[in-house]
Amino acid sequence: MTTYLVSVLNGLAMGSLLFAIALGLSLVFGMMDVLNLAHGAVYLVGAYVAVALVGDGAGVAPFVLSVLAAAVAGALLGGLLATLTRATPHHLDQALLTLGVALVVAEVLSAAFGNDVHSIAAPAPVGGGVTVLGETYPVYRLLVIGFGAVLAVAVYVLVERSPLGSLIRATVADRAMVAALGVNTGRVLVGVFAAGAALAAVGGVLAGPILGAQPGLDEKVLLLALVVVVIGGLGSVRGALLGAVLIGQVQALGTALLPEYAPFLVFAAMALVLLLRPAGLLPARSAVHA
Amino acid sequence: MGAVSAFSLNRTIAGLALGALLLTGCGSSLDENGGNGSGDGRSDGTVKIGLLVPLSGVYAPIGEDLRDGFQLYLDEHDGKLGGRDVELVTADEGEGPQTGVPAAQKLVTQDRVTAVAGVVNSATALGLRDFFDESEKPLLIANAGADDITGTRKSDYVWRTSFSNGKVSAALGPTVAEEAEGSVYLIAADYAAGKEMVAGFRKTFEAAGGKVAGEKYTPFGTTQDFQPYLSAIRKSGAKAVFAFYAGAEAVSFVKQYKQFGLAGRTPLYGTGFLTEGGVLAAQGTAAVGVKTSLHYSTQLDSARNKEFVDAYTEKAGKSPTVYAVQGYDTAGVLDTALAEASGDSGKALVEALRGIGSINSPRGTWKFDADHNAEQTYYLREVRAEAGTAVNTVLGELG
Repeated sequence: MTTYLVSVLNGLAMGSLLFAIALGLSLVFGMMDVLNLAHGAVYLVGAYVAVALVGDGAGVAPFVLSVLAAAVAGALLGGLLATLTRATPHHLDQALLTLGVALVVAEVLSAAFGNDVHSIAAPAPVGGGVTVLGETYPVYRLLVIGFGAVLAVAVYVLVERSPLGSLIRATVADRAMVAALGVNTGRVLVGVFAAGAALAAVGGVLAGPILGAQPGLDEKVLLLALVVVVIGGLGSVRGALLGAVLIGQVQALGTALLPEYAPFLVFAAMALVLLLRPAGLLPARSAVHA
Repeated sequence: MGAVSAFSLNRTIAGLALGALLLTGCGSSLDENGGNGSGDGRSDGTVKIGLLVPLSGVYAPIGEDLRDGFQLYLDEHDGKLGGRDVELVTADEGEGPQTGVPAAQKLVTQDRVTAVAGVVNSATALGLRDFFDESEKPLLIANAGADDITGTRKSDYVWRTSFSNGKVSAALGPTVAEEAEGSVYLIAADYAAGKEMVAGFRKTFEAAGGKVAGEKYTPFGTTQDFQPYLSAIRKSGAKAVFAFYAGAEAVSFVKQYKQFGLAGRTPLYGTGFLTEGGVLAAQGTAAVGVKTSLHYSTQLDSARNKEFVDAYTEKAGKSPTVYAVQGYDTAGVLDTALAEASGDSGKALVEALRGIGSINSPRGTWKFDADHNAEQTYYLREVRAEAGTAVNTVLGELG
């Protein structure tokens, strides 16, 4: 039994990371109606920033620095993608454009860092393990769970309770009306895009000590993030949270209980949600709620 | 947005997610090399050799090491094999047979090479077996480990300079049976190589009186979190673990083995691929104490190896790996065979390969056995930290 409880804990850590990564994808899709297939590549940029700045040498300062650097790199990349995709109104064009950007970014990273697998050390003070339910559990993963909780609350407050949040929600609900009030809506949308991408890149750093960095990881992460978005519902913060926690648990408990079917369970869950609730579990109802 | 459009959008991404899933399965491989199709590979002074190694996809690091090893041998011998200038045609093997087989066929039919060397993926090697057998061209396997390549599906034209999966792990069995203070848990990636590694180990391990606590295969290529399996190992009460993983999975497994507190309590054994080259560099000191069996280590104490390590490090800018040695030796084997062969035909080359005798390699002396497989010494290695870097220290020779 305790084995499964540790698996649940593990699923929560994975869910926290998935939430950080999928949130940007969901918001950009829900609010701007842009399908960003380069989201996984942005994540990978974050992971390689951590490889460059942290690598094996552990310490808190370089780790924090790489989180900040990744956020900046992600925001820049997000801003660029927002500008590019605004010029291409159709979904298919956007998908092809962002997929192209993803391929270019992945190839540049592989040219710069090689094709080897890189691992990223957790900062030294939290690199060890603690005893949880009689088993050793890495402290770093517990911190990741904490980060996920803080992020969820912060995003909720920002989108639901702050003036900036109401501006964002208003822009989504009726862009023309907000523009008529004298607000530059383009800037709001680019800001959301950049923030979402920054979050994905930060996710790349934070996931580093667990998933490392290697070519091809961008596709795996993008696929999981898409599944989270489909399950949770587009453009919804709560949906992204629910989807991420759910997929984290399906992965962790699935591997513990039904190891043979584990790789397939995630997609089975997605198929089930599509059958029963085609718009996702918690879709943004009128795009006014977060 | 309304419920209707959200619904259709949701279907769009679901479709795209599936599309992406399919896309990841098929790597792209475009020949950078047009190939003029002329020439028959036997113009007087030169000989044309095809090098088929993965330069894209998950096996690219192995392919690069094989190529660098092969190239080092050529550079050390003025670009000559068997006294003749070599025209090396490199082709990208990609991730599997769907890219590797056409690339090999192109080397033989279009570039008209005298022999093909390389091949990392076992499925590609087995898929190529009939083609090389029928077109009577020598294929020198420099990595692919499937037992069948030099077993039930052996061919006169297929020779292996590397290893077979079962033999690498079988070498370790008796040692683990002796050292372990109780039953041993077996865990490997769920694909042909993982099964062969475990089967080879289990046979010699049980013959030497070892007891198995459990046997588990984890989904290949998709497992990133080993926590449930590590918990199962702990629950089984095993006193030691034998594992086979390579690449990214080897990094995750060994690091998590340490993170979840098994390292230091339950000794970890495996075949050398668990802690080789870039994988070991990524694991760092988390791998300290892992004991593996392999036919090479950079730490082998011989003049031949030291010379090789120095030359390779200077050329490639990093320490050699077992893959680099395999590439290097493949070029060496071709050198001797081409010098001895009475002509460039596949038959003549194969005849020369039969009489090649023992090969003096950085890994020690080895020779081809009756099945054309490398017959060599396997070493027991232990990862130790030397001046902050993890290296595979050689503890001794295995049976």
